[in-house]
Amino acid sequence: MSENFENELRRALRPLDAPAGFTERLMAALPEKREIAPVATPVPQPRRVAQRFGVPAAFAAALVVSMLLGQHVAEVHRERTEQQAGLAASRELMEALKVTSQKLDLAYQAAKAPPPPVEEENRT
Amino acid sequence: MKVHIALCAIALACGGPAFGQLKGQLDIPQFATLAKKASESVAVSLDSKLLGLGCSFLSTDDPEQADVKKLCTSLSGIYVRSYTFDQDFAYPQSDVEGIRRQLSAPGWSRIVEAKSNKEGTNVDVFVLLDDDKAMGLGIIASEPREFTIVNIVGNIDLEQLHSLEGKFGVPNLGIEVPKKAPPPAPPPKKSR
Repeated sequence: MSENFENELRRALRPLDAPAGFTERLMAALPEKREIAPVATPVPQPRRVAQRFGVPAAFAAALVVSMLLGQHVAEVHRERTEQQAGLAASRELMEALKVTSQKLDLAYQAAKAPPPPVEEENRT
Repeated sequence: MKVHIALCAIALACGGPAFGQLKGQLDIPQFATLAKKASESVAVSLDSKLLGLGCSFLSTDDPEQADVKKLCTSLSGIYVRSYTFDQDFAYPQSDVEGIRRQLSAPGWSRIVEAKSNKEGTNVDVFVLLDDDKAMGLGIIASEPREFTIVNIVGNIDLEQLHSLEGKFGVPNLGIEVPKKAPPPAPPPKKSR
């Protein structure tokens, strides 16, 4: 049973010569000569450069801008604090001189005041 | 031995005038308890840095402030404590005496002593003289309901203090400005 099957298979798969004119027909059926497409080599595109370095550059720029902004804010804050301290100090200075002048005036008034009259002795 | 000497030197240095205190500067306490008891209080402590800052903010357009600006450039500090009370003599006399003791130190001289028995006012003005230059001014004013201490530190130009007369109500206290004696004239050449 198996021998028959093998024989049939061999017969079916035996090599056969091509029919006459097969080669010509096949060649005629083939398309004209094709140009070989060049293999595209990867060229660095500006977009890819931007993609590669854009994020770190933006990050660095943001960092620099934030640092400069922080410095400016700190400078403004320092100036404002100094101005407030200066104004407070000038107010205190004027207050201190006012108190000083009041006390000097008090000393002046006390020094200028006539001495208390001495009670006369009863001579009678 | 060296350590002992160093410790003694440090103790002597710290035992004298308060560390870092300028000539003419009094050791004025904060009087925290007095400030609590007082109905009104003024406490001004301007060291040289704050004084310089305050002076720089004074306007030169205002004649009063311009005069003060001129005066305060030579000063190193202004310290004022003033307390007003609702009752008579609510402050301890020991506080007054503590300051008065400092003003009895060598160098300080009392230029004004004003006492009014009627009003119970006692005002003393002291000046610290160094080479005929006033290096410090101290005022102690004690009234029944008020107690004030003023200490002005630095090279006080008495002439400039005079120029404040009339402004701030500073009266003419008759402060004599010491004048330097003119150099002796060269001896006349003998004619032969």
